Amino acid sequence: MGSYRRRATLTATLVSWFGGALRPRFTWQGLITLAVLVVVAFLVLLPVVFLVEESLNIGDPMAFPPQEYGLANYVAMFEEDLQIIINTVVIAVAATVMAMLIGVTLAWILTRTNVPGREKLERLMELPYYMTPLVGALAWAVLASPRSGFFNQVWRWAGGTGDLFNIYSMFGIAWIMALFEGTVAFVMISAAMKSMDPALEESARVIGASKLRTALTVTLPLVMPGVLGATLFVFAEMLGSFAAALVIGIPARVYVITTAIWDSTLSYPPAYGRASAMGLALFVVMFAMLTFYRWMVGRGNFATITGKAFRPRLIDMGRLAWLLFAVCALYVLLAVVLPIAALLLTSLQRFATALLHQAQFTFANYELALALGPVRTALANSLLLGLGVASVGVIIMALLVWIIYRSQLVGRGGIEYLVMFPQAVPRLVFGLALLWAWLNMPIPIYGTLWLLALAYFTVMLPIGVRTLAGVVLQVDKSLEECARVCGAGWVYQLRTVTLPLLKPGVIAAWLLIFMACVRELGVSVFLMGPNAKVIAPSIVSAFASSGIELTAAMALIQTFTVVVALLILFRLTRGMTRELT
Amino acid sequence: MRVAVAAGIALLLAGLSSSVQAQGKVCDNPRPMPGFKTCANVEKAEAEGAFVLYSTDPEAGQVKLLAAFNKLFPKIKTSYVRLQAGALYAKVLSERQAKSYLVDVIQISDMGMILDFQKRGGFRQYVSPEMAAFKPEYKSQPEGYWTWGSIIMGGIAYNPNNVSAAEAPKKWEDLLDPKWTDAVNVKVSNSGLQHGIYYMLKPILGEEYFKKFATIKPRAFDSYVQQYGRLVDGQDKIIMGAQYSGYIEFKAKGAPLAFVFPETGVPAVSETYGIVADGPHPNAAELFMDWFLSPVGQQALSEALLLHSPRADVPAPAGSVPLQDMKLLVPADWNDFEKSRPEFAKEWDRIVGARR
Amino acid sequence: MSAGALCIELRDLVIRYGDVVAVNGVSFDVDRGEHVTLLGPSGCGKTTTLRAIAGLEQPVAGTIAIDGQPMYDAGERRNVPTEQRGVSMVFQSYAVWPHMTVLGNVAYGLKVRKQSSADISAKVERALDLVQMRHLADRPASKLSGGQQQRVALARAIAFSPTVVLFDEPLSNLDAKLRAEMRLELRELQRQLGITSVYVTHDQEEALAISDRVIVMNVGAIEQIGTPEQIYNRPRNRFVADFVGSANLIRGRVREALAAPRTWEFVAEGGHVLQATAAHTLRGNETEVAVRTAYIEIGKANSVNQIPGTVRRRMFHGDFVQYVVDCPLGQMIVRHPPTNLVAEGDGVHLSFSPEHCVLLES
Repeated sequence: MGSYRRRATLTATLVSWFGGALRPRFTWQGLITLAVLVVVAFLVLLPVVFLVEESLNIGDPMAFPPQEYGLANYVAMFEEDLQIIINTVVIAVAATVMAMLIGVTLAWILTRTNVPGREKLERLMELPYYMTPLVGALAWAVLASPRSGFFNQVWRWAGGTGDLFNIYSMFGIAWIMALFEGTVAFVMISAAMKSMDPALEESARVIGASKLRTALTVTLPLVMPGVLGATLFVFAEMLGSFAAALVIGIPARVYVITTAIWDSTLSYPPAYGRASAMGLALFVVMFAMLTFYRWMVGRGNFATITGKAFRPRLIDMGRLAWLLFAVCALYVLLAVVLPIAALLLTSLQRFATALLHQAQFTFANYELALALGPVRTALANSLLLGLGVASVGVIIMALLVWIIYRSQLVGRGGIEYLVMFPQAVPRLVFGLALLWAWLNMPIPIYGTLWLLALAYFTVMLPIGVRTLAGVVLQVDKSLEECARVCGAGWVYQLRTVTLPLLKPGVIAAWLLIFMACVRELGVSVFLMGPNAKVIAPSIVSAFASSGIELTAAMALIQTFTVVVALLILFRLTRGMTRELT
Repeated sequence: MRVAVAAGIALLLAGLSSSVQAQGKVCDNPRPMPGFKTCANVEKAEAEGAFVLYSTDPEAGQVKLLAAFNKLFPKIKTSYVRLQAGALYAKVLSERQAKSYLVDVIQISDMGMILDFQKRGGFRQYVSPEMAAFKPEYKSQPEGYWTWGSIIMGGIAYNPNNVSAAEAPKKWEDLLDPKWTDAVNVKVSNSGLQHGIYYMLKPILGEEYFKKFATIKPRAFDSYVQQYGRLVDGQDKIIMGAQYSGYIEFKAKGAPLAFVFPETGVPAVSETYGIVADGPHPNAAELFMDWFLSPVGQQALSEALLLHSPRADVPAPAGSVPLQDMKLLVPADWNDFEKSRPEFAKEWDRIVGARR
Repeated sequence: MSAGALCIELRDLVIRYGDVVAVNGVSFDVDRGEHVTLLGPSGCGKTTTLRAIAGLEQPVAGTIAIDGQPMYDAGERRNVPTEQRGVSMVFQSYAVWPHMTVLGNVAYGLKVRKQSSADISAKVERALDLVQMRHLADRPASKLSGGQQQRVALARAIAFSPTVVLFDEPLSNLDAKLRAEMRLELRELQRQLGITSVYVTHDQEEALAISDRVIVMNVGAIEQIGTPEQIYNRPRNRFVADFVGSANLIRGRVREALAAPRTWEFVAEGGHVLQATAAHTLRGNETEVAVRTAYIEIGKANSVNQIPGTVRRRMFHGDFVQYVVDCPLGQMIVRHPPTNLVAEGDGVHLSFSPEHCVLLES
């Protein structure tokens, strides 16, 4: 015992000579953190800087650096593209309203009533998010296109005339967006409802307030900040939505900012300046909304700490409970079952006539999809990127999380801000920024998988850090302190206590990042090359030039891959509190 | 003396530079291959092991074409990118600006872009022994920069299940009938064929034609695959400027379609191919061009994409009308064609509702 | 190092949280084998002080030495990291690692010190025996009850035979009965192993029961240090008198010294004259005396201070009865064993000795 103490003081003396500062163990850690900071800033901020510069380019759009600077691009946005801006806002508003309706209804049903099968339903509610709006848009194009859509055929078969639905409209775009991004609203509002102490309602009821009065005067005001915050968040997401507008909007002659940006870069000559200006405008609006959201919700950081989740008192709905179950089931039907069924049917047809009596069925599309070099390569690339980015990313993000939430480093708030920054940039705009940045940087990784990997890592930072932070913050500090008190050094403590406790969270983060990579569209459309194809843009490409049958087959293969990963995630996180936002 | 030194230095430099360089004439001893002759160094091409094509043709067709090439040269792995002409050209230019040389051969269906690219020095001159079989108007002057790989033409298509023969349009002017409102689809302004159709029909049908056509509210799509697909499932009734090769392709698969060659004529443009300067696999590129421009390659193209070959010795695709039986409207002055693009793009975007 | 030497020495320790000064110039010593308790309300700085001894808090001034070795010295810019201080700690939340078994938890400190497996087994067994948890050695720690976790935390703390163990309110999460039992066990263990302990609690009953010395803290400073009897019988000021045990506080002024040693005459506000004693050197400006409720007798005329009164309220607490008595000194609270009950409304005679009427520092 005595020699141990003597050794300790000797070390302490040596360390204090070298350290100087009273926290000597941070010197080499400080170097690592500085390096990480620089790299993250480079990845996150530099593309945006390039974008800003290009948006001011009013000369030759392909010149770098720009020869002429000016605000003409921004002015032109309001003069020539006003309709596009109007479309964007109208669709976003409609989609947000619908998504919030869906979200509030489902959240209320699943957190406050005794609807049968609550836990299973809650899990099912998350499914549409993973199906991606791209697949959803394709499926609904099959379901509700005029004349040939399934719904319209059934309508005509049942004796109706004309079309019941026409998905190719602004409402159609908003509907798809709401359906598939409505789950985000659901998760956020559920969280708000769950974080309310039921005693607050109970005390009102005890005093004599009726169910309705309690709901209006106690529950609603308490949940309101959460609901308003969710509205802002969802609206910001809708502004930057791309897939539905691409698949449905263009045939409907409805352009929104995201598709206009995409379109600008894909015509000759590519209007990078205009596209950058639009992208930046969108980014600024989204950024403002998210900042407002943050202020409203009153949290200091984006990482949601799973605070004490109460068990709200369930309202007994009696026989109505089955009706509510039907409502939830209807949502699952519309968002999951019908789309998958529609795509399945389409993918098995020779010609997607959707006129069932004319249909010729075949497996050829799947054979083609799996045999087609490009499709196979694209899928393989997506899986490879998913594996790589998830594995390396999780390690780096864990380090970032430790720096932000457990270290005493000055300026760790700045790192947190940087890391969450990509969330405020619409994916497509970030893709454009990356494209422009890497087109003009001397390192030739444009068109390779390396650039895609870098891009994926950058846009996945918010998801990964948020998930890991949630887990890290759940680990009671005293568990780590106790290890230190028992004599464990930093590395030993990390290895034997911190990391094992973080394992389920780390695996969850890995899976989330993996799935996000496989689904990724907005960034990938810009950065692909002939040897760096990935699956989601390939589906879009197939939609344009390969016929809906093959596209459907490809979409289903991609969805299947994601669902398998999702099932594994569900298994692992059973019982673990986890939020999407 | 000085001249000799300069010449010597030039020769030395020429010798020191890459083994594959701009080649103004056919090589002396083309190597016979199964079905074609090549000036390329086959061993080097196989050593390079890969070949990249950018083309506007639908993916499935490109895959088939490249598979035929790959069958002859299994060591050369092929890959491609498919985009519509404007998008493709934008991508190529962007990549070159980034000094990212990813592509060996490009095919663009808009001659204007081809000429522009040639002016920028984007093509590498390589004279293939097979180019002799192409008429002068089907290749660059001097030859070796670009060559027409196929000729595409646009007419009118419809689905006889939804449109009776009686009411079906027979002339371009028939498409202005208000009953076709919201039921016609066309290609996007990026498309070379669409540009050709506009360019050729405007002087013939008059200024007012396209203004009136705008009231029909046509929908624009990126590829004929989408266009014909919508015809088959009834979402649209007519394709204005329907690509004939697409009609043949779908008909062969059993789709219910009909094609009309209006008396006025069918506008036609070329799908032009050329080797890109500084490409990553120069020898493979030369090998490909030799194969592609030969009857064997052209036949493979015809089978893969149902396209008409410019070569006289290659028959028209099965089930199609041969070139000489069509009244083709081809732009006479490609430079003028190139200059007309910006105005076309703006006007066409307005017609299809792409921008305000 | 001779036996009986000081084990822990704190001098002028100052700890800040941002702008708030949590610990403001605290100094005390702990002898080898002594059990010292830091007692005070929440926010008084007791836990912060404890954690600073462990190295888990960063002071801004002062020194800390353990076993004669300086662990923290602001002047010399020395700060020995936690893992090298060789103290042990039992956390309020137990901090039992859920991903290890009971055995794994207890053996941790020994494994860190790279002891042989034979040594480790023997010491772990001994530690578990001491807390009667040997039969649960292989149970995963996540499946333990609160009381069991507490024992494991304790076993873990003593397994590697530290000389100092720090306790951060280890019993506050247990129910009253269990708390009382564990208190005794802890004390036994501490005596048996001769561990020097620094214990933090807000429960004054606990502090008095098990400590050798009690340090009463308030708002970052020490109010009084003494044995439990000293703290209880001779509280120095109002805070200590009020916080520890239950006392009647009577206002008035000191009049004159009396014949008996350290006894003075104290005139209460109502005019009643009392005889009071002081533990401290009188300054003359004292205005309060404290009379412990348990030291007031009913119906006897034994002591010097005698007051008549009427019982206003009687409350039966089980182990004692509490009376609220109206009298010339105001309302006095009296605690009495639950025998010879006096009815509400009855008149009583209260008496207490001068030793039990303590003058408080102002």
